[in-house]
Amino acid sequence: MIRIRDLCFTWPGSQTPCLSQLAFDVSRGERLFLHGESGAGKSTLLNLIGGVMLPERGEIDVLGQSLSQLSARARDRFRGDHAGFIFQQFNLIPYLSVLDNVLLPCRFSTERARRTGGSPTAEARRLLAALDMDPQLAHHPATSLSVGQQQRVSAARALIGRPELILADEPTSALDPQRQAVFIELLMSEVAASGGTLVFVSHDQRLAHLFDRCIELLAP
Amino acid sequence: MKTLLPLALASAWNRRLSLALTVFSITLAVTLLIAVTRVRDAAQTGFAQAVAGVDLVVGPRGSPMQLLLHAVFHLGDATHTMRWQSYRTLATDPQVAWSIPLALGDSHRGFPVLGTTPEYFRHLRYGQQHPLGFSSGQPFSGLFEAVVGAEIAARLGYRLGELITLHHGTVHLDELQDKHRYGAEHTDKPFRIVGILSPTATPVDRTIHVSLASLEAIHLNWQGGLPLPGLDIPPQLATKFDLTPKTLDAVLIGLHQRTDVLRAQRQIANFTGEPLMAILPSLIMDELWQLVGSVERSLHGLAWLVVGVGLAGMAAVIIAGLGERRRELAILRSVGAGPWHIVALVMLEGGTLTAAGLLTGLGFVEGAGYLFAPWVNARLSLDLATNAFSADELRLIAGILATGLLTSLLPGWRASRMSLADGLIPRL
Ligand SMILES: Nc1ncnc2c1ncn2[C@@H]1O[C@H](COP(=O)(O)OP(=O)(O)OP(=O)(O)O)[C@@H](O)[C@H]1O
Ligand SMILES: [Mg+2]
Repeated sequence: MIRIRDLCFTWPGSQTPCLSQLAFDVSRGERLFLHGESGAGKSTLLNLIGGVMLPERGEIDVLGQSLSQLSARARDRFRGDHAGFIFQQFNLIPYLSVLDNVLLPCRFSTERARRTGGSPTAEARRLLAALDMDPQLAHHPATSLSVGQQQRVSAARALIGRPELILADEPTSALDPQRQAVFIELLMSEVAASGGTLVFVSHDQRLAHLFDRCIELLAP
Repeated sequence: MKTLLPLALASAWNRRLSLALTVFSITLAVTLLIAVTRVRDAAQTGFAQAVAGVDLVVGPRGSPMQLLLHAVFHLGDATHTMRWQSYRTLATDPQVAWSIPLALGDSHRGFPVLGTTPEYFRHLRYGQQHPLGFSSGQPFSGLFEAVVGAEIAARLGYRLGELITLHHGTVHLDELQDKHRYGAEHTDKPFRIVGILSPTATPVDRTIHVSLASLEAIHLNWQGGLPLPGLDIPPQLATKFDLTPKTLDAVLIGLHQRTDVLRAQRQIANFTGEPLMAILPSLIMDELWQLVGSVERSLHGLAWLVVGVGLAGMAAVIIAGLGERRRELAILRSVGAGPWHIVALVMLEGGTLTAAGLLTGLGFVEGAGYLFAPWVNARLSLDLATNAFSADELRLIAGILATGLLTSLLPGWRASRMSLADGLIPRL
């Protein structure tokens, strides 16, 4: 699913490399827990896997496709077609309704829209319900939601159109411990239902036991 | 595009308060530009309409421009005159369909007095070949009768039957401010208004028309611009004199065949009696417009500059707002938007703001036109609707829109640079 070899990356304007000599694989359907201290480069790694940035050296293959061999445009399309992202917070576009936020990937990727089985809106509603959201909220503005609700909406957005890869960057750090577990459980069951692969980034090691495998990213 | 437009609109709507002011400034700029263009076009059309149907203007040999200004706009003094006899010869030429003799020199409250024949009302055309019409009364037929243009009647509040007196000599612009510098007055022979013309949007609206014989009559006891002391000729005695004028300022000519115009022009240039010339008024009018045009062009340039300021303000407001939108852009990138999507999104926003400003600006111009058109028409003899939504104006509108889109290329480029540097997780 993901194959990383000899990966090095340095942010422009920085002397020390952010990632160096990184190598690991993620297999299909796996649920990977990626942890490491703050500044270790976890978010940077997600940027690279998503094809938003290119490695300075080394290889990243996603779904058997080497990202550095794709044009910038093709990488954007590849990301839209095959990856869903959940961020730490402020995941939603404030001027769109809950439903429109969930439907956003289908606007940019016809592949994702196609894979909803014909009706993206119905699929969005189904996902929202599966993630325990009140159906009445669908047309509310995204800004009217609580943080926990926002995270569930962004999980629905990441899952719509069954992308092969779900990349979550500390999606639970803004939630209280009780809600963290509930959220992760919901997320995992939906990822399993869609047959996707989950890469979950967090610095909270207490969550590690919920996942298949755990990789620690060391600060260089 | 289909994906991005609703996003751009929703995003702009979300920031409507700060954007509304930008749209307002674009509105004002667009209003100015379109209004200036419409007034320019109206003036130009009005200009060209002033000589519709006249094939040749004949006068003493000299500057063609001066002859045109004098004969058509009644501006300036004639340095030379032509003989009445020459006019009679021209008028009987078989090529000539009609001819109108013109004598200028007097004025009334700043408006030129034109001595002519009733032919004037029959043959003169304005605009799209409209004949002159009377809003009341009829052409002059006897001595001391006057027909006034629409603007004079409106401004001075003249009605039929009212008596007016003429001043000797033309009035220059600086004298308009200074009543005491008018020429001597022909108080002894007042004129009765027998006709008021309909508006034409040409110099006719600002002219007082009297017969050539009346002009002769009021100058019977004058010599060298002053009344002869002790010599008084009462109006009723004037008919006892020969009132055929000796000189004219110009003659307007219409030919049977327009195609003969160059031949006729050459013949008049070789006229044997005295040195004459004939000009093609539309040709000289174009030249004149080129002269007047420099003022118009700088005004137009200024209006474009104001549009530029409005659009630059829009770019600045969009750029200033980008900081708060870094998360929004990162989210869009995470769902598959590339840097070009970001550029397009911001340009769509700029285009939408420009279009909104354009529409409201056009609304303002149309509304103002609707409210003030009758007034402008009556006071300034301008028909503002002549070029509304013409091909030229549509081109202008497209030009403004294109400029708006081009201007928003700058914030668009800035936004895409920002989102490239930020990646998926902007650090604040
Ligand atoms: N957009 C950026 N431009 C330049 N440098 C960056 C950028 N984002 C991150 N960095 C640098 O890269 C390093 C790794 O940052 P990154 O955000 O990947 O860490 P992280 O492991 O996700 O940390 P955290 O757990 O706090 O989120 C940091 O030193 C940071 O300064
Ligand atoms: Mg991070």
